[in-house]
Amino acid sequence: MAFEQPACQTCESTLISRLFCFSCNAFQPLPREIDLFEVMGLPIAFEIDSEELEELYQRLSLELHPDFFETAPEAEKRLSETALVILNRAYNTLRDSTLRAGYLLFLLAKDKKLDERTLPVGFLQQMFNMQEALDELLNSDDTAALIRMSKDLQDRHKKIETSFVSLFKIIEDSPEDLEKLQQLQTYLNADRYLRRLVDRIPENGLLQN
Amino acid sequence: MAYSEKVIDHYSDPRNVGSLDKSDENVGTGLVGAPECGDVMKLQIQVDPVSKEIIDAKFKTFGCGSAIASSSLATEWVKGKSIDEAMSIQNTEIVEELSLPPVKIHCSVLAEDAIKAAISDYKSRNED
Ligand code: FES
Repeated sequence: MAFEQPACQTCESTLISRLFCFSCNAFQPLPREIDLFEVMGLPIAFEIDSEELEELYQRLSLELHPDFFETAPEAEKRLSETALVILNRAYNTLRDSTLRAGYLLFLLAKDKKLDERTLPVGFLQQMFNMQEALDELLNSDDTAALIRMSKDLQDRHKKIETSFVSLFKIIEDSPEDLEKLQQLQTYLNADRYLRRLVDRIPENGLLQN
Repeated sequence: MAYSEKVIDHYSDPRNVGSLDKSDENVGTGLVGAPECGDVMKLQIQVDPVSKEIIDAKFKTFGCGSAIASSSLATEWVKGKSIDEAMSIQNTEIVEELSLPPVKIHCSVLAEDAIKAAISDYKSRNED
């Protein structure tokens, strides 16, 4: 997808992030709806450079640290606070692959109505069975089986992630492909059920395998 | 968030937890999920073949306290009702009975969906 580098409103140098100019330290006027990818200086795509994301986040949170603005004029203080909120939202959304997929789908689908209830065939029954099995495992001492289930869940999540990569690639070329958009939505829906299972597994004892 | 007393009552002492024989033709099974949170609920009804009344109901819910309370209540309510009466149970009645706050409305929707799914499963297996 095309990615236009915006320029600083004050000094006109190329902006890395939509929030703040590193050349002249000026806050940028914020549009009403800000694109979180632009905030983190990333092209709008599912696959991102996580190192780049991490680096920019560190740099920006340093610049926007409240300590620097304690004695600043009220308006600037307020700007810095808003910018920090947006920065954190962008960072937290984009670094998590599921949240990132959800956000990207939201950007791409815009006014198209996607069905948020769809699931792959047979999936709900599988989830119910796994929930029941997990109940039993949690009441037993069978750590090995619990680890197996945890791995199984991770694998399922990874498969969904892989589908995200390929589906978003297709959509980059044909953004109007409603069927593919809905397919993405279906995987996102499914991932929520997986997450629910993962969250029930206590982390302690599972990590040293 | 504080749960109402009725939610706590159902949650700590859920009625009708369990399963009915899925293959029994007088049993209808509804399996539903909440897209908002990924919780799942199974609700089953057993219908008397002569009187067509719901004579038993069981549920199993993997979800929040409100979802467990909603499904527990739903099984109590459907018992003794005709299929049509049970079909007309609205999630808003559950919300009211359990005093659920707005963020927990989808949990009651799950219970209503489960009743409807169980009934439609029963019907699809009993089309003369
Ligand atoms: S939070 Fe999931 S059903 Fe209540």
